[in-house]
Amino acid sequence: MESPNRLLLLTTALCATLLLSGCSLLRWPWFGKNKNVEQQQTEDQAAAEEEAEDADSTPPRVIEPNVARRKIKTPKIDNENWEIGGGAGFVSIEDFGTSSTYAGQISYHVTEDFFFRADIGQSTAGKTSFETLGGDIELLTGNQRRFTYYSLSLGYNFLPGEVFLGRKLAMNSGFYTLVGIGSVKFAGDNRLTVNLGAGFRVLPTDWLAIHIGVQDRVFNSDLLGEDKVTNNMEMLLSATVFF
Amino acid sequence: MEPSITTTRSRRLRRTSLGFVVLACFLSVTALAKQTEAEKAAKEQAAQEKLLQVFVSEPYLELSTGPGRGYPVFHVVEREASVDVLFRRTDWFKVRTEQGVEGYARARDMRRTKLADGSPFVFNLGDMAGFTTHDWELGIGGGDYGGASLINAYGAYSLTDNMKIELTLSQFLGNFSNGYKAEAGITHVMFPEWRISPFLELGTGIVYVEPRATIILPEDRTDQTAYVGAGFRMYLTRRFFLRADYRWHTVFTSRDDNQELEEWKVLIACFF
Repeated sequence: MESPNRLLLLTTALCATLLLSGCSLLRWPWFGKNKNVEQQQTEDQAAAEEEAEDADSTPPRVIEPNVARRKIKTPKIDNENWEIGGGAGFVSIEDFGTSSTYAGQISYHVTEDFFFRADIGQSTAGKTSFETLGGDIELLTGNQRRFTYYSLSLGYNFLPGEVFLGRKLAMNSGFYTLVGIGSVKFAGDNRLTVNLGAGFRVLPTDWLAIHIGVQDRVFNSDLLGEDKVTNNMEMLLSATVFF
Repeated sequence: MEPSITTTRSRRLRRTSLGFVVLACFLSVTALAKQTEAEKAAKEQAAQEKLLQVFVSEPYLELSTGPGRGYPVFHVVEREASVDVLFRRTDWFKVRTEQGVEGYARARDMRRTKLADGSPFVFNLGDMAGFTTHDWELGIGGGDYGGASLINAYGAYSLTDNMKIELTLSQFLGNFSNGYKAEAGITHVMFPEWRISPFLELGTGIVYVEPRATIILPEDRTDQTAYVGAGFRMYLTRRFFLRADYRWHTVFTSRDDNQELEEWKVLIACFF
């Protein structure tokens, strides 16, 4: 039983060998045509190169460097020092009650400690107690009641830290103080302001920050007869994005 | 090296839980957060191949949880290992290790890492050398403009170490009139490598003047103005310097003669 099987196997193997090698031995007209051309080309190139080498290789080189020097391009690093955003809150305008306010802010972080910040905001002043009690008396027109302000400040991060929400989440945070100068347009006049403030910043992610801040905008006013220093407290909740 | 006592945080866990908190706690910014998160993911994917890879050549590289000296070190990258640089915030680099741990590395430590070809990782650091050679300047300050209080902000771009193009925006608040002005000019810093260096400036701009409500004066007017000035700049520390200058303005009014005004101011500025 064994020998016919073996015979069959051997015959098949022999046939296969002959057939496969035969295919490659035969020079088919459509097969290997390009190969020949390529081969010839490379031969020509090699000959040309050899000739060229012979021509300029008067001092024989010991080592022929055949690795081209790679030029490494350093990718640009993304700088994320700017912070822009806005928010809403309340501003207490001295003698004119407390009103809601909307503000925008942009900061540039110079070092981990210091940053520059510009604020701009707008609110509408309410009525003085004199106006409320006096009936029809209006000290200011509607347009004059608009309280528009801006400030340029230097900020200092003085209590950097982390806040923890539950067991698994820690978010970077920090207290900061602000000192700056600016201007307020109120009652049809511009006044120079000095602003002092402090805020608390929480960063849920690297690019998003939530701020709660208080700033006092101090300016001289003679609106109600006497020239006096007014303190205008502003409380703001805002969101900013780093870019 | 002392072993870190803080827990190593898994990046994925942190990211998902952070996303959850953003959604849950700050509903007002949800839409914004979502949009920017998607944008960030896309940006990250696009920038995947373009991130800079640096190799630790010191015994180890410490990673902190935040970009500040107070934040705890929670991970250490060993020598020969690589990190991808994600972004830079002030003097801290956010990096990602081969295992995917993300943290902040101090710029001073990053200075001692190497690039793939073995060359040192070089970048600008806020120091005296940076004060001499930099691209941008930004400053805020105050002063006096023809008797009125002046609030001032400026930005400058360095053409060379000596020559800068400058844009100044100011508001002045006086007893008789208020106004705004915008000026562009050229500043020549004489000795940029000195800690205290004098400079000369020349420029032009427009000035808008509005009289105070209580005083009757001619109506609001916009005039062209030109200035010539001199001042000095002093390097303070890190990226900060102090800048003080005097400018002599000529305002080309629509009246018969021009108006001449003096301005002086002091600014705190930074370079980057």
